[in-house]
Amino acid sequence: MVVNNNIDKLAEDLEKQELEAPSGITTPQVYEQLLAIYLYQNDLCNAKYLWKRIPESVKTSTPELKNIWTVGQCMWKRDFSGIYKALNEVTWSDTVVDIMKQVQESIRNRAVDLISQAYSSITIDTVCAMTGLTPDICIPACVEKGWSFEADTNMIHPVRQVVEPAGQTSSEDQLYKLTDFVSFLEN
Amino acid sequence: MASALEQFVNTVRTLSSHGNFRELCEYLSKSTEILVKNTQHLDNVLETLDIQQHSLGILAVLCAKFTAPSTANNAHDNRFTQTQEFILNCNGEHIRFAPDTFAELCHLLTNYLVEQRQPLKGIYLLEKAISKLRLFDSQLTSIHADLCQLCILAKCFKPALKLLDIDITGICQEQSYNPNGPQFDAKYFLLYYYYGGKVYLAVRNLERALYFFEVAITTPAHAVSHIMLEAYKKYILVSLLLHGKVLPVPKYASQVVSRFIKPLSQPYHDLATAFTSNSSSELNAVLVRHTEVFTRDHNMGLVKQVSSVLYKKNIQRLTKTFLTLSLSDVASRVGLSSPTEAESHILQMIETQQIFATINQKDGMVIFRDEPEKFSGPEVLKGLEEQLQLCMDLDKQILSMDEEIQVNPQYVKKSAGFQEEEQPSKSTYAM
Repeated sequence: MVVNNNIDKLAEDLEKQELEAPSGITTPQVYEQLLAIYLYQNDLCNAKYLWKRIPESVKTSTPELKNIWTVGQCMWKRDFSGIYKALNEVTWSDTVVDIMKQVQESIRNRAVDLISQAYSSITIDTVCAMTGLTPDICIPACVEKGWSFEADTNMIHPVRQVVEPAGQTSSEDQLYKLTDFVSFLEN
Repeated sequence: MASALEQFVNTVRTLSSHGNFRELCEYLSKSTEILVKNTQHLDNVLETLDIQQHSLGILAVLCAKFTAPSTANNAHDNRFTQTQEFILNCNGEHIRFAPDTFAELCHLLTNYLVEQRQPLKGIYLLEKAISKLRLFDSQLTSIHADLCQLCILAKCFKPALKLLDIDITGICQEQSYNPNGPQFDAKYFLLYYYYGGKVYLAVRNLERALYFFEVAITTPAHAVSHIMLEAYKKYILVSLLLHGKVLPVPKYASQVVSRFIKPLSQPYHDLATAFTSNSSSELNAVLVRHTEVFTRDHNMGLVKQVSSVLYKKNIQRLTKTFLTLSLSDVASRVGLSSPTEAESHILQMIETQQIFATINQKDGMVIFRDEPEKFSGPEVLKGLEEQLQLCMDLDKQILSMDEEIQVNPQYVKKSAGFQEEEQPSKSTYAM
């Protein structure tokens, strides 16, 4: 959670830096980090528009920007194997390496959630493509989650997760709100 | 020539120091001509004025600098930096005496930046300007529309969203020296809602976008505005995207909408009819037939989204008839080319919770499930609470507006007069 807050804060800072840049163009580092953060937040719309507004000259001088955006493009198309390929093909510079690691993690988590929601049986190849892992890592990981593996058909049977609603409000708080409602309705 | 400017500076100084701002405003509105004529000396004038004490004077000078015949080729064009310094440091209380001129300066700045193709530079300045001019957060100023325009051009939407997310409850009374009393130019009102709708479209917040276009087309009007026409076209498309059909335009919309605007947007109505027929081939035929119109209106992207939504809508319809279906059947019934394509559509819809289904890759089947019971958790309660809160706030707002009208002298006079007229007629009726 701490990391999460930090990233949101960083994003705000970067956005501000971009807007207050005197010439309307900020440093390539700011663009890179902001683009990576949008991907981490799965905010593809803003990522797309950021990519569109980065001046051509900055794009040519900083090829890494293009690499980050390739990841974004694959995310837009929901091309999972493309995402992992784009993420692992390049060595990220110090500016974005931490964020890109988290991008990969969050995408993998989302993929696992989606598999458990959407499939009752799925080939191991598809699981590997969606998580970007090799079968020998993937199978034990699935079994650990309680998903059964059928060796002869190469099928995984995911178990649907029940999403637990989080956050109970205190009863005192609720009572207060109820009083509010009642007094509103009576008047 | 110079003496006229000297007199200008002296008048600004004396009136400012005596706090006669109303008089100063009147003086300034008359002296525009002198300023525009003496463009080359205006920088000297600026140097003699203090940004905090003589904000109104500087405002007039800057406006004159922008309206003066083109100095675009001038190498040291310092208008942007001067305006920047002015907006950041001017005296908010003073400029509220001349909200029209201040807004005018912002419009001029916006046009200037659009011409220079540097819209990004103005965004935080206009944010600042709005916060100086408005009295409370939910007050609309005509600068709002400028900011939205810059954000759209710069493809940078977050600053605009900050403003758009606040529902407007009041309008800044600009043009205070208008003979008909304080007014607000309808153009900027319409532009705000039109641009706002576009911004929400860009970030895929369709519900808000629809609401913004609705406000634009239900604005009372006696003549067709182009802004309303374009808003109406987008209203149809967004309505299809969001609800799968065209929502009826609210009854309180003015007559011009049904009389003139609807006939002018025939291609869009054709598209809607094809969409409701659920046939993708028919939809594509309309798309091809009207491609030229859609491209000219810059709505092609939205139209394409509409056609891809039809596949999803058709898949959703399948869930009403079938419990299980093979992926290839889904593909052929919906009109997709392959089972894999159908699978990716279904996967996408499951992720966004548009349908509830399970894919079985082993047999290539889809099992459609019922919507899980989700009307009993604390989440529902929370949603309900939020909705109630909104209703309560709205009620409060309406009550306070009602009160304001009740005590408005003009209203009291009119309604009293109305009653007097009514009285005798009633008595005659009784006889």
